[in-house]
Amino acid sequence: MKNYLLLVLCLFSFHVLFAQENITVRGKVTDASDGQPLIGAGVQIKGTTQGTVTDIDGNYELQNVPPNATLVISYVGYSDQEHPVNNRAVINAQLGSAISELEQVVVVGYGTQRKRDLTGSISSVSGQEIAQQPNVNPVSSLQGKVAGLTVVNSGRAGASPTVRIRGVNSTNNTDPLYVVDGIFQNNIDYLNPGDIESIEVLRDPSSIAIFGLQGGNGVIIVTTKRAAKGETRVNFQSNVGVQRVQKKIDVVDAAGFRQLYNEQLANLNAAPFDYTNYNANTDWQDLIFQNALITNNNLSISNSGEKTTTLVSIGYNEQEGVIKYDNYKKYIARLNQEIRITDNIKVGADLTGFHFRQQGIAGGILNNALWAAPIVPVQEGDRYYSMPSFQRAQVGNPVANINRTRGNTVDQGYRVVGSLFGEVKFLENFTARSTVYTSLGFNTFRGYTPLPFTVINLGEGGAPTEDFFNPLSRTSVSQSQSQGRRFQQDHTLTYNKTFADKHSVTALAGFTTLFTATSNVSGSRTDTTLVIPRDPNFWYLGIVDESMPMSTGGGGSEIAFMSFLGRINYAFNNKYLVNLSFRRDGSSIFAPGSDTRWGDFGSVGLGWVVSDESFFEGVTALDFLKLRGAWGEVGSALGFPANLYQPGAVIANRAIFGNNVNASVGPAYVPDPNLHWEVVRGIDLGLDLRAIDSKLSAEFTLYDRTTKDILTRVTLPGTAGDYEFRTNLGNISNRGIEVALGWTDQIGDFNYSFSPNFSYNKNNVESIGPNLEFQIVGNGGVNLTETGQSIGYFYGYRQTGIYQTTADMDRVATFPNSLPGDIAFEDVNGDGILSPADRTFLGTPFPKWNFGGNFTMGYKGFDASVDVQGVAGNEIYVERRNATFAVLNYEANRLNAWRGPGTSNVEPILDNTRGNNFLFSSYFLEPGDYFRFRNIQIGYTFGAMENLSKIGLKKLRLSLSGQNVATFSRTSGYTPEAPLSNPIASGADNGLYPVPATYSIGVSATF
Amino acid sequence: MNLFNKKYRNYGIMVLFIAAVSTFAGCKDDFLDRELQGQYTLDNYPYPGGSGPYDQFLFGAYSSLRDFGVHSFAFILTTSVRSDDADKGSTAADGGANAIDMDNFPVQPSNGHVNTIWNGYYNLINKTNIALDQIANNEEIPAAPEVKIQAEAEAKFIRGYAYFMLVRLFGRVPLIDRVFEDPAAQANVPQSTPEQVYALIEEDLRFAAANLPPSWSPQFVGRATSGAANGLLAKVYLTQKKWSQALGAANMVIMSGQYDITTPYDKIFREDGENTSESVFEVQATASRQFPTANGVQYAPIQGIRGSGQWNLGWGFNIPSLALEAAYEAGDPRRQRTILYTSTPTTPGVTIYGEVTPVGLPNPRYNNKVYTNPAIRNTVGSQGGWWMNIRILRYADVLLMYAEAANELGMTEEALEKLEMVRNRARAGNNAILPPVTTTNQAELRQAIRHERRVEMGMEHDRFFDLVRWGIAEEALHAAGKTNFNPARDVVLPIPQQQIDLSKGVLTQNPNYN
Repeated sequence: MKNYLLLVLCLFSFHVLFAQENITVRGKVTDASDGQPLIGAGVQIKGTTQGTVTDIDGNYELQNVPPNATLVISYVGYSDQEHPVNNRAVINAQLGSAISELEQVVVVGYGTQRKRDLTGSISSVSGQEIAQQPNVNPVSSLQGKVAGLTVVNSGRAGASPTVRIRGVNSTNNTDPLYVVDGIFQNNIDYLNPGDIESIEVLRDPSSIAIFGLQGGNGVIIVTTKRAAKGETRVNFQSNVGVQRVQKKIDVVDAAGFRQLYNEQLANLNAAPFDYTNYNANTDWQDLIFQNALITNNNLSISNSGEKTTTLVSIGYNEQEGVIKYDNYKKYIARLNQEIRITDNIKVGADLTGFHFRQQGIAGGILNNALWAAPIVPVQEGDRYYSMPSFQRAQVGNPVANINRTRGNTVDQGYRVVGSLFGEVKFLENFTARSTVYTSLGFNTFRGYTPLPFTVINLGEGGAPTEDFFNPLSRTSVSQSQSQGRRFQQDHTLTYNKTFADKHSVTALAGFTTLFTATSNVSGSRTDTTLVIPRDPNFWYLGIVDESMPMSTGGGGSEIAFMSFLGRINYAFNNKYLVNLSFRRDGSSIFAPGSDTRWGDFGSVGLGWVVSDESFFEGVTALDFLKLRGAWGEVGSALGFPANLYQPGAVIANRAIFGNNVNASVGPAYVPDPNLHWEVVRGIDLGLDLRAIDSKLSAEFTLYDRTTKDILTRVTLPGTAGDYEFRTNLGNISNRGIEVALGWTDQIGDFNYSFSPNFSYNKNNVESIGPNLEFQIVGNGGVNLTETGQSIGYFYGYRQTGIYQTTADMDRVATFPNSLPGDIAFEDVNGDGILSPADRTFLGTPFPKWNFGGNFTMGYKGFDASVDVQGVAGNEIYVERRNATFAVLNYEANRLNAWRGPGTSNVEPILDNTRGNNFLFSSYFLEPGDYFRFRNIQIGYTFGAMENLSKIGLKKLRLSLSGQNVATFSRTSGYTPEAPLSNPIASGADNGLYPVPATYSIGVSATF
Repeated sequence: MNLFNKKYRNYGIMVLFIAAVSTFAGCKDDFLDRELQGQYTLDNYPYPGGSGPYDQFLFGAYSSLRDFGVHSFAFILTTSVRSDDADKGSTAADGGANAIDMDNFPVQPSNGHVNTIWNGYYNLINKTNIALDQIANNEEIPAAPEVKIQAEAEAKFIRGYAYFMLVRLFGRVPLIDRVFEDPAAQANVPQSTPEQVYALIEEDLRFAAANLPPSWSPQFVGRATSGAANGLLAKVYLTQKKWSQALGAANMVIMSGQYDITTPYDKIFREDGENTSESVFEVQATASRQFPTANGVQYAPIQGIRGSGQWNLGWGFNIPSLALEAAYEAGDPRRQRTILYTSTPTTPGVTIYGEVTPVGLPNPRYNNKVYTNPAIRNTVGSQGGWWMNIRILRYADVLLMYAEAANELGMTEEALEKLEMVRNRARAGNNAILPPVTTTNQAELRQAIRHERRVEMGMEHDRFFDLVRWGIAEEALHAAGKTNFNPARDVVLPIPQQQIDLSKGVLTQNPNYN
């Protein structure tokens, strides 16, 4: 296309000869955003008709230019630039997009809005930023990009990250809602990062109120790519990389183990262990880790004609895990088509097909490798050594475990997401749009239990014996299938008009329903006579005779939502902004009856563009200043089970009489008769500014959000173990600050930008229930949720040191059974003794601070970017060190154990019968702060060079990148990203999957 | 009207749009009315008719008797490992402080097993309360008054048993005797005194004894009977030193004609000794190829021999102590039947099925009363022994309770007679061993009965409670090497710290724990 433009412009250009004193000016015109040459840009001497256009490399040469002239450089869709010549022979120019960033539209619920008109907190992340990173799941790439957004990644192949927007606002599901081109989804696992145009993160209650019952935790809107206007384009993107475990956990080797276990047995007055047969020095971690492949590929072809636009794309992503045999592959195909029937009527369809294949790993393999004694050899042929007696029953041979699990599952899934829309513009200002969506998911799973490996039991004393771990086990197969169905319809009517050049109004009314259903069936059979081969072709239930032991299961669910919604955006003189939204939402989750089933939600947002006021005209440094404030109330019922008001009858418990089995029935829980949704309410105050020729941008936001009527499971204390009462109780507030800054500038050919962001969130449980005295405990009492503290905080004893001597113990508080070598705890209540009353707040698992930063630079064809990211203010519970069920290998910190007065004031004595040392305390906590070089990338873009354009190549970019190349943290685990998925039991490292460093090369070509 | 006239067309679109929305809105109630998929609720459950309409609820309680929190690891640790019958077992450090503290005292309030057993028994109580609530209030279930009364008796038997365990384990516990109408308002019930708890136990068990059948058809073998209720009641009275009531309750069992002392001692603890005329109440368990564990209880697997391969029968906890071994009289065959020996280079340890145990197992002794039949292991395809019933109350126990009460009441002859019945069976025809007790001195006879109770019921979970009620826990446990035992503290477990936390301090800790 640009070539045609060049041709046309050339026809109109002409050369005029000037006097000798004039000079020749040459230079290059590039796109300021990506450094790409602009072909056919106009270069003209101001006030004359003399000029030229840039060539295929963006270069121009203009002769006979008066030394005191001014060049005007222009290009369609970009802002004009004027450059005084000042006797310079070379003048380069980087043109910026004519649509200033403020004029760009962002996607909001059921529509779009100019960024400058927003009154809430919405951040956009471009598709390019997402696709550039070597992540199979696009959500991973959001980490560190948006103030107020916490993303916890896992290194596990194909894993979905945990996402929290502005902290944790409930004791239940706190995942955001994903809205992909309009359809509500629980995740975007099925999208290829390369197919994404942009992602908007909606954070404040006024922006999310329009999403009603499902929006309470924040909303992530994903817009996929559409055909670009006016050209046929083929785009190919690919990156391939290798992932490596950055650091291993420091466990002791065989010599260290012998030393520490001997010491422990001596402390227990137990007989020494006989190591005669155990002479190996095995590093189990090395044996389960691998360097792993990751690759993302995407090919898209788009065309845009007068009547139709079309985009087709296919993608293939694969990620191996850094633990052996962990593997995830995904295949994506998309078709997007739009037909303009008339100027006012258009219809379109969108279809995405997705398929994944996954190979799982042995459960608990990481802790297995950390816990297995290093004195044991690995294997002899296909026979594996079993662990010594002190851990044989509890800890298996890690290598045997991964080899036995390898390839035992055929785990595949399919998802088809499609939509059809029709849009009619009528009476000039009205637009009616109807869309129907469907999302169908189908997962199949086949599994196999092989015969156990033969193990060699070295034994203590005596000769080694050869055995099966369990000689009675038999091969079995299992098969399960599940399907999910999701149907949604949206009908909206939009009215858009500007009255008297001053009053601009956009009004929206809409109706929508959402129906989701699931069903699943599963079964397994064990063959007690034949050995089913270890070959997936046999792994169907029918391979085993139906007289053999078998079990089957199946279930399903249905949930429906129906909603009426409306919104009015009003602007007076582009200066005073009012945004109102409303949604009435009903759901089958709640009991019939208008009070319980239907809820009303809404918001008010106000904005004032101060910089457009007349008194601001003199202020030139500030280009734009907006003050905004918003209030909203929204419901939260995301993830609530179907028919919550109606507990199902549990029929899993069986009474046995003799050998007769009898089923029983009981209620699953006791519901409050008025069970309803959680209510999220909040205010948002913000200031947006652009200054210094819009080089500087800044957004400051303060928020205060409270969730009330939290769906609480009260496990009736004293009355009943797992029998719970479900009711709406309690308030949780999140208050915080979000700051996003940006600086973009160019110096000659060199352009750069820097955009840091950070956020601070303070979580507080305002109340967990007015009429009920109880607390919510998680992870066996490690996490406590109670009024006046942050949700799920770490609750335990605070270590003050180690008791060195009995004389030492006389001076400070102790437990009655404390002994020298035990951890000394703080006597918090000052009563002179240690008791459970001395447990106290030790920290929170949720980061108070999230920060990120992006630094980019470009010089001619080169570009480079550095992303940094981190969190601060949280603690991590090193739960893997608090396992006491057997004698386990020691982490290196135990080498410094207390061995007598003065030897250690941190590490207690090696004696696992000293129960006080296993009480949850700050001894088991590590600061969760980290700072990470999230992504470092350099790239070079080949312009449309002769030889490239011959093969039709318009653009080619090659890049090298490193992800997670360096992480600075004070944790001892593989990763400082402890899971935050369960609000009331978060932050424990109990075998966390390493988040690897990834080194990759990428290519992006446009034809 | 020309449909293609732009103006009309526009209005038409608008009308259609509004009509469409109105249509959707009109059917909104239907759209949102969704039923649970694949699940019953208590309202639409198709209750079976016939003799046991409440069985669906009662069976939930019976099922919970097999729960991990009820008759499993925590049960073994708190009743057996705490006593002088047994030591922790397994390997030296296995189980960590939580298990070791049960052996050596004191048990910490944070001990997970304590919380597990608390939750386990309250869950059991809750299920009986749900059943009682359904019997009293669910009018959808048609049942004759006598059917209701029998079902109520069954629920109360299980509830009485659960509280009897709780009061002996913890002392003061919250008394929850119904389903609360407003769970939130009444959730946090403070502890009652042991006297108040015993009052409920006696009331429940008396009701059960009066209204349960003496036996069940083979289909329901092992369900609660009047004999089980009376036998348990005897133990409840005995624990409170209510001698004459204990004697009366035990006598009801003896006179019922349902039980006798003919089952050989060796057979009682085998799989084929389950539910014999010796059995008064057992926790029922079974296993099959298809369900090797789901219908069983993790009781035997926790105690099974901790070897490898063929000898990997379990975790090897709860091993008979040297004190127990020393308690047997010379030649008493019950010692060999209670203690399974690991082979040594000089002496083979032989199982009741004739296998020779390996040399070099982590412990020299294991609990022989949970040793499973290898033939059944092969049939089920599991070495764990989840199918092993737990003998909660058996006839010899009732006879010895009778003897104890009779001796305390001065009915010496009665006491000697019941004691001899037990010793006679133990002799198994060998008159050279276990001579009859003849003393008529009350104190001597008391010692003899206590001794008999110990060796007859070694490893059967009553020993700790017996020591406490006899007031000799300190001397016995110190003699067995458990010198940390402090009678002012350790006769009851600590209230689980997690429960105190959950109650926000409404529950208070037992004396001398902190």
